[in-house]
Amino acid sequence: MKGVILWLSGAALAFLLTSGAFLLLANASGGPSEKSLRPDSPSAESGPALDLQLGRDYLSSLKQRPDQKLSIGVHNAGSQKLSDINVSVKVYSENTALSDVRYYRSSIKDLAAGETVTADFTLDLSFAGQNTDQGAEPARAIIEVRAATPSGVSSVRTAILPA
Amino acid sequence: MRCRVLARALARVLTPLLILAAFATGCGNTARSVPISPLPTGQDQTDFGLGPGVKPLSFGPGDKSAPAWSPDDERVAFVVDGYVVDKPLDAQDLRRWTTKDFGAERAEWRSEDSLTIFAREPSSEEAPGTVYRTLPKDTPFAVKQIAADVLTISAGPGDEGLVVALETNQYESGLARIGADGRMDQVYTPLVGGRVTGLSISPDGRRIAIAARGAATFALHVLDLTSGSLRTIARLNPGMEIHGGPEWTDQGIYYIAGEEDTGDRSVVPHHLYRVPPSSTTPEPAPGVGEDFVASSLRASPDGKQLAIVGRRNPTSSTNLYILDLATDNLKAVTANEDMEIKIGSDDLAWSNSGDRVAIVARGVISGPRVLSAPADTLLTDFYNLYEVPVTASRKSAS
Repeated sequence: MKGVILWLSGAALAFLLTSGAFLLLANASGGPSEKSLRPDSPSAESGPALDLQLGRDYLSSLKQRPDQKLSIGVHNAGSQKLSDINVSVKVYSENTALSDVRYYRSSIKDLAAGETVTADFTLDLSFAGQNTDQGAEPARAIIEVRAATPSGVSSVRTAILPA
Repeated sequence: MRCRVLARALARVLTPLLILAAFATGCGNTARSVPISPLPTGQDQTDFGLGPGVKPLSFGPGDKSAPAWSPDDERVAFVVDGYVVDKPLDAQDLRRWTTKDFGAERAEWRSEDSLTIFAREPSSEEAPGTVYRTLPKDTPFAVKQIAADVLTISAGPGDEGLVVALETNQYESGLARIGADGRMDQVYTPLVGGRVTGLSISPDGRRIAIAARGAATFALHVLDLTSGSLRTIARLNPGMEIHGGPEWTDQGIYYIAGEEDTGDRSVVPHHLYRVPPSSTTPEPAPGVGEDFVASSLRASPDGKQLAIVGRRNPTSSTNLYILDLATDNLKAVTANEDMEIKIGSDDLAWSNSGDRVAIVARGVISGPRVLSAPADTLLTDFYNLYEVPVTASRKSAS
């Protein structure tokens, strides 16, 4: 009787050890993780925490001339404070043959959760509607606005102004 | 002895247990069901503003025009803001062929890796242009001039080389052939009265239809490339013009004509006409209806269909239509409501397989637009190329 109990205990122990070894092998076999199969998001935005507000009415008042004032609302829609937010504005023409691109930058030190701060820029839009071909219709102006924090929270908005 | 018995008993117990354990743990790395996130919003669209089945071929800013399919239909070349690029159909891997200030108007493929380019000085629509051929890609943006004083170009006989119209003097134009090797190898002797505005080679490759603006009127001529005889088959009334070039098909020569554009930017409706085979009398093209407003047209590679950018009537939307020339059946292959389709004579192109047409279009905007994406990923906000399938529409039409 004692021998039977000993054998059964030995068999159970062997079963557990073998199962454990197989499980270890299965998990260590290096299959791709679920995370690595997710396609990258096409958007440059990292999440809803940072929002850029470009009022259409405001944009409508812009002319393709120098000294155009643009106010951009930078809103922290997340639940944590954001710091050192870089706001950049890139102004260029729809005409890709023109290499003239203007860059403008501003920074916001701190932005509390739920808070909106306005970043003001004075843009030169005089070149953006030009076209190299006099017969062609005037080009549309493009204003590309990006905001990003060192921690990787970012947002992008593109405004297109008709000629 | 006792040990041997013990070992046998252990083996008897452990063998089925090991097999059971192997099944229980799944025998190693089996394929696991891993969900792949759905396509992001906008990537799974089937309607980009021109109806189902229409696919974009380009993205981002730039005034794109004059699409041209490569001989194997795997790539498309086009003009962007006066320079020439080409790309694979399904990738945005642009390959630029010229400098950005080139003034290109259209490009034609000479082979899978070379192009012929027609360019004109910017701001000189009336001045003659120059034809170039591209050089191997180890010399970036290098081109070689083939012909100067060129008014317009057309595919050559048998789709080999080009036929070019040359400005000879103020009142006459000449024609010449540029061979597949990129050299001008034949000059056709008769001069054409007026300034040539469009050319189209006949399906048998032996004649060419010529649209020309004379001192007072537009005329349509036919030049026999073998005998050199030139005859006029239609002369328009004063104040009328031929828009773009003629298209020579199995069912005759088609062209678009209407009141001359006086430049006041008012919409001047143009209509489609045909000179039937063995006839010298133009007639309204059958099948399109008398209210149809035609803007540009291109014959299919087999000469049996016409792709027409136009409107059913002056108040309807611009769409791409396919006219089956054997049945005179007109079928819209786009369903456009708010897109602006380019109507230039070079802004539509049949694939060599004849089952797709490339057009250029953009969305109409009346005020500023704000989008949550970088400009180079945007589609309908700029002129971009679209591929329109036409095979399915022919089947449904029949």
